[in-house]
Amino acid sequence: VRGCSGVSAPLLHPPWLLTADKLPYTPTLANATLGGLMTASTFVLEQPRCVFTEAQRSAVIWLVVATPTAVDTFDNSVGPGTPKRAFQGFPTSAPAYMTLNTTLLNYPCPKPPGEITVLRVGSETSCAEDERRPTCNGPLPRPGPYRVKFLALEGSKPIAETGWSDPIMLRTAQPFSSIPVMGSRRSAGMIALTSILSILFAILLAGLVALLVFWGSDVCGGSSTFSKSEPVTVRRYNTHHVQDQTAAQL
Amino acid sequence: MAKGGDSIHIFQGLLVFGNVVIGMCGIALTAECIFFVTDPHGLYPLLEATENDDIYAAAWIGIFVGFALFALSILGIAGVIKSNRTLLLVYIILMLITYAFEMASCITAATHRDFLTPNLFLKQMLERYQKSETDNNNDKWMIKGVTETWDKLMLQNQCCGVRGPSDWQEYTSAFRIMHSDADFPWPRNCCVMDAQGSPINLDGCKLGIPGYYNSNGCYDAISGPMNTHAWGVAWFGFAILCWTFCVLLGTMFYWSRIEY
Repeated sequence: VRGCSGVSAPLLHPPWLLTADKLPYTPTLANATLGGLMTASTFVLEQPRCVFTEAQRSAVIWLVVATPTAVDTFDNSVGPGTPKRAFQGFPTSAPAYMTLNTTLLNYPCPKPPGEITVLRVGSETSCAEDERRPTCNGPLPRPGPYRVKFLALEGSKPIAETGWSDPIMLRTAQPFSSIPVMGSRRSAGMIALTSILSILFAILLAGLVALLVFWGSDVCGGSSTFSKSEPVTVRRYNTHHVQDQTAAQL
Repeated sequence: MAKGGDSIHIFQGLLVFGNVVIGMCGIALTAECIFFVTDPHGLYPLLEATENDDIYAAAWIGIFVGFALFALSILGIAGVIKSNRTLLLVYIILMLITYAFEMASCITAATHRDFLTPNLFLKQMLERYQKSETDNNNDKWMIKGVTETWDKLMLQNQCCGVRGPSDWQEYTSAFRIMHSDADFPWPRNCCVMDAQGSPINLDGCKLGIPGYYNSNGCYDAISGPMNTHAWGVAWFGFAILCWTFCVLLGTMFYWSRIEY
């Protein structure tokens, strides 16, 4: 942090109203077709392309992530990396943190069509516990909600800022034991199959019982019986009557 | 009596034809059930872990019933041609026993198919996929089976989760305990892989950019083969049993009309 830059009467103006230009842009979440737009500990923002101008060319653009209660009392002049802005203390001892610092070179304007220009907040897991990296882009500890804005710092002086975003609420996962595993939803096909097969089997059993009773009762069959397969021969009987009749006609 | 002779032969012919069809269907049933039991899609570990693998038991019964039907159909043909009462009675009784077993197989396959819902597979996947602490050997075996099967499924069918990658976000899981949400919003196998088996763009996969990760669910790849399996066993068996019913009724009628 450098010394005072020589502006007079600091008592008349509150420090956070000092010099930062308010840009007419609010950070938004990225395109909704992204599958990982919001997970339990990360979210994806649109990059602020064509937002900062040449006036901020030599500034470092930071992303500020804060809890909604810290928005009203947010002080632009508190530098990144200090204990009140360290990621590792968020949200208990640090009501907001600053991360993803870069320069205007990385947000070229105009945005090339078809390119996906996003910022993934929460992607660095290696430094999440490392106190030596207070500007870590670590995974968010709670589902939120959170509000973000971009802040351009020249040295330690805030020169431009965007508006605060709408509150961003992350996903909360339900426990898997709550999934209802409905057991037996009986389908119509199964019921039809079971009932038809049972009826057919019952008929067959009844037929078998009738057969055995029939066999045991020693009664021969009905009028038509199937004999064994000997050839049935019919002998022609030439009666006297037939021969006499034909002789009489001749 | 000539007419009686003809009707005997016609009836015998019908019964022989009926038995021939039963024999062929028995062979077909055995072949079909052997095909299902060999599990060409590798989905058996998923069923084993749900402790609901009775459609496999139904297929095993189907193998033996198919052989029995073939053997009994030969016995039936011999009995009808010889018009031997004893042979035919043995045939009828053994056929009824086989009928009962096949009925059990059909009903089991149809009933247990109804248990296989998307939620069942979802809960099991969340509970067991890449779980690290195991209770006992049985648990360890099931975890290994589920993990390997899901990895293979997601890789081969280009899918993720049961309904989609959001399954891993909407619910907690054993996977989530071991892998942080920021590094692994979903398992690595949900990413589109190159020829060497590594993701073509890991950041794109984590962001969920269409084209770098698999956004569709694997439920179709699971339920398709299982439906074919269960309905194949159940309905083909049902058709065989309907035909066998007619043949058995005819045989009983024939038996009752044979002279001593």
